Amino acid sequence: MQRILDPAQIESFAQRTIPRIRLPDSASLFARRAERLRKLGKNHAVGDYLRLMAAVSDAQQAALDTLPLLPSPSGQVADQVEQRMAQARTHAMPPLQASGWPRDSRWRTILNELCDAVAALPDSPDAVRAACARVRERQTAQLEEQADLLLAAGTHGVDAEAAPFIMAALQVYWVHLVASLNMDAARDLAIEHHSAATVDVSGVCPVCGTLPVVSVVRADKQYQGYRYLHCALCATEWHLVRVKCSHCLSTEGIAYQSIEGGSEAVRAESCEHCHTYRKILYQEKDMDVEPVADDLGSLALDLLMAEEGYHRGSGNPLLWQASEG
Amino acid sequence: MADMTRRRFLMVTGASLAGSSLALLGFSPTAALAEVREFKLARTTEVRNTCPYCAVACGIIMYGLGDDAKNAKSSIIHIEGDPDHPVNRGTLCPKGAGLIDFIHSPSRLQRPEYRAPGSDKWQPISWDEALGRIAKLMKEDRDANFEAKTADGTTVNRWLTIAMLAASAASNEVGYLTHKVMRSFGTLAFDNQARV
Repeated sequence: MQRILDPAQIESFAQRTIPRIRLPDSASLFARRAERLRKLGKNHAVGDYLRLMAAVSDAQQAALDTLPLLPSPSGQVADQVEQRMAQARTHAMPPLQASGWPRDSRWRTILNELCDAVAALPDSPDAVRAACARVRERQTAQLEEQADLLLAAGTHGVDAEAAPFIMAALQVYWVHLVASLNMDAARDLAIEHHSAATVDVSGVCPVCGTLPVVSVVRADKQYQGYRYLHCALCATEWHLVRVKCSHCLSTEGIAYQSIEGGSEAVRAESCEHCHTYRKILYQEKDMDVEPVADDLGSLALDLLMAEEGYHRGSGNPLLWQASEG
Repeated sequence: MADMTRRRFLMVTGASLAGSSLALLGFSPTAALAEVREFKLARTTEVRNTCPYCAVACGIIMYGLGDDAKNAKSSIIHIEGDPDHPVNRGTLCPKGAGLIDFIHSPSRLQRPEYRAPGSDKWQPISWDEALGRIAKLMKEDRDANFEAKTADGTTVNRWLTIAMLAASAASNEVGYLTHKVMRSFGTLAFDNQARV
């Protein structure tokens, strides 16, 4: 896409710095995801699953919209939160680091809301209803343990039936945390933090420390042509230069693999150095791409990449594999 | 701590889907697995480079089809400015924007050619012949025109009858080597800017 710039535009380009962080828009994040999942679900090999996750995303948006009405934590938990954030500031760590975060019980309230909303849908299959009921019956300790496991990207002992619901609830909780941060402080901290070499190396979300689900080459005005990694938990996007492996940071042996005759907006960015891939979405080819939805909607690409012997950099938050241990 | 060893082996396969959330919530991966039989992967590349035209040295991304590693002859299909590059931030000048045509131009020079004095024909020659001839002519010219001292006795060690045009996309290291080589000959005139 080439166009001619006038001198004023060139001047404004020269003064521009790359926006390092895109914070999630909590007013529409999950609603957009639900809409995209529904669109992708039409005539899709796993369309039923995509529609179920669309229902989960709708419930997520509803839960997020009402979350500020729940009483926020006070006393000991609030002190712990203060302490963690102060510590993060001192050591240039992600301010809302998911692993080890003092979660309060609101996330389990959200989880129950999600399960109830999905179970109450008239077209929910019996198997899904039963699963929702089973998730609701799980002990608090069990749920907390699963949450710890999912947030730490653990794979041993994942409860794959409950995991998409648990992760969905945690997403709502974290997006709310991001939204309720003092925005300027969050942005400054994240930017400062992101420019530190240590963060660039680890490739994790500068806000919550989670691995990205996919990367997106954005096409909207301010971000055009820049590639962002999309956090699987809090939906923050952070900049990474193009043509670079988001797993091992190699810049050699990078290829872009897609399904012949399929969408050009979804590719697997593969690395010959670490034999890992992570999908990359091109918004220029499809304005409506949504990171979590398009990743889930392109399972076929994952299957083909696995046949070629490539590993996935990290999983999709709405599809978990049962572990063998 | 992230479970690094297990995560390295995260793969989406028929077997793993059978034990995934999808199957556990009562959906069948069969259709997805059957569908994949009909699909084939297409491989493209994106490569970062520097525009060869001028000393501004804009960053470019070259989009290629095919991959030499897979025995498919690669071909560049599109070139655009590198948005991450601090110099041009994704933009290109009209000359740079036409780079793709330079690569695929039928009149692009791809091997050394020689036109004998008085002849109107270009003839292909080998790199060895070309370099041998250049070296021989340079030696003759330097022997004839090298000045060690000026008329008033000042040492100058210069060779003014030759000039060198080098590459504008050269790195610092290549620039250093160009400088060392040409200055050791006593050459004063060389330029790294292909502005013409």
